Amino acid sequence: MNHGQQSGEAKHEDDAALTEFLASLMDYTPTIPDDLVEHYLAKSGFQCPDVRLIRLVAVATQKFVADVASDALQHCKARPAPFVKDKKQQKDKRLILTMEDLSKALREYGVNVKHPEYFADSPSTGMDPATREE
Amino acid sequence: MNGERAQEDPAASSSGCSESYEFSHAAAKAAVAQVCESVGYEHFKDPALESLAGFALQYILQLGKTAISFANLTGRSQCNVFDIILALEDLTGNDDGDGGVVSSESCSLGRSVKLKGIIDFVNSSEEIPFSQPLPRFPVAISKKKMMMIPSFVEIGETPPGNHIPLWLPAFPDPHTYKETPMWIERASDPRGDKIEQARQRRKAERALLSLQRKLVCKISSGTRVWGDMDGVKEDEGELLRSVSPSISGEKVESLNRDGLSVVEAFAPAMEAARDGFCSEVDTEWKKKKKPDALSKLRTEKKFLGEPLDLSLKMKGEDRPLSFVRDEDRDDKRRRAEFILRQCMENPVDLNQL
Repeated sequence: MNHGQQSGEAKHEDDAALTEFLASLMDYTPTIPDDLVEHYLAKSGFQCPDVRLIRLVAVATQKFVADVASDALQHCKARPAPFVKDKKQQKDKRLILTMEDLSKALREYGVNVKHPEYFADSPSTGMDPATREE
Repeated sequence: MNGERAQEDPAASSSGCSESYEFSHAAAKAAVAQVCESVGYEHFKDPALESLAGFALQYILQLGKTAISFANLTGRSQCNVFDIILALEDLTGNDDGDGGVVSSESCSLGRSVKLKGIIDFVNSSEEIPFSQPLPRFPVAISKKKMMMIPSFVEIGETPPGNHIPLWLPAFPDPHTYKETPMWIERASDPRGDKIEQARQRRKAERALLSLQRKLVCKISSGTRVWGDMDGVKEDEGELLRSVSPSISGEKVESLNRDGLSVVEAFAPAMEAARDGFCSEVDTEWKKKKKPDALSKLRTEKKFLGEPLDLSLKMKGEDRPLSFVRDEDRDDKRRRAEFILRQCMENPVDLNQL
């Protein structure tokens, strides 16, 4: 009984927090515009007149993109810098979103976007680096 | 943003696989680029940006699809917040090791890892609104602007055929698909036409008379015998060559009878042409019995006969050579009368000669 009451209270709290969160969503403007999100949701059959839900989806997508981009940035920074003669230039690394970094980042999400290599020199071309070493 | 980033104008729409695809895709690219910029990126490679934008759109689509399926499972057609939370959980999977089992409790705030993450994200991250104003799309065409084809009922037409219901759009007008020859309206002006006709006739007669005058002048300028007529004609040109034998033949005959010179033969005719053609001829007609008059008449007839002959020549008809006989004189006289009458009907402006 107590457990049920506690869970009931927790639920109330959760609901309150959820309501509060949805209300706060109205203040927060997501980067992806509402119209765009609504258009694509309508394409998949999602029908809802509530703007807050649209905003929730937009925020979720924004978080997803931000996560992927930050992972790719990590890969970009982790790559050893190219050899430069001048030491000053070394720190001035240009942060460019490339396909390489993106593919590495998306692999953790289960998406394979690896480009095939241009030259197939050896039998181990195109294989996973981990298996290649073996 | 500079460098390799391909910034497309979201408002520009070009033809793609569907009309709204290009526009929405460009808008998504711009939004994703802004998110990446907030993360820390300065430049983008276009293929990378495009694929990331594609992933974002696929994320939205998958989220919507899963959410609506959860709503349909419970017998609803419209989604609510719990459907979305469940879809979030379903899409990414839990890290707590439940094996992806979605329970009824997982849609609550306490259990939903994803939702907590989102809340944290909202609280922590900076608010970056979309950089450009996006018009409401797909653009709704108002009924007033929309060019709807009205139905048969609206027009008040009966469809051609009993099998066509009245509420269907009407057929286009026949003038849109049928081509009929155009009736070119010509304003008929009978009076104007008559005047034009008379003018042309006058012109032709004037030309003929001037030609004959030239001929006469040529003949009268030199003291020539009949035999030289051919030479004279050669000067005039080929047109008169065929005329000359007939003329020479006729005039020779008349000359032989009357012994008149060429100038004397043509003199009355010239006078008549200058002064008042018809009246002179009339007086001449009265003096029929005089041989001079006769000969003059004859020559005049011949002179008058010339226009007819020349006109015939011009038309390309061949006039057979005919020597004048006594019995032909009457014919010639009748012909001359006829021509005279014609000239009287159409007053010729002889003053111009």
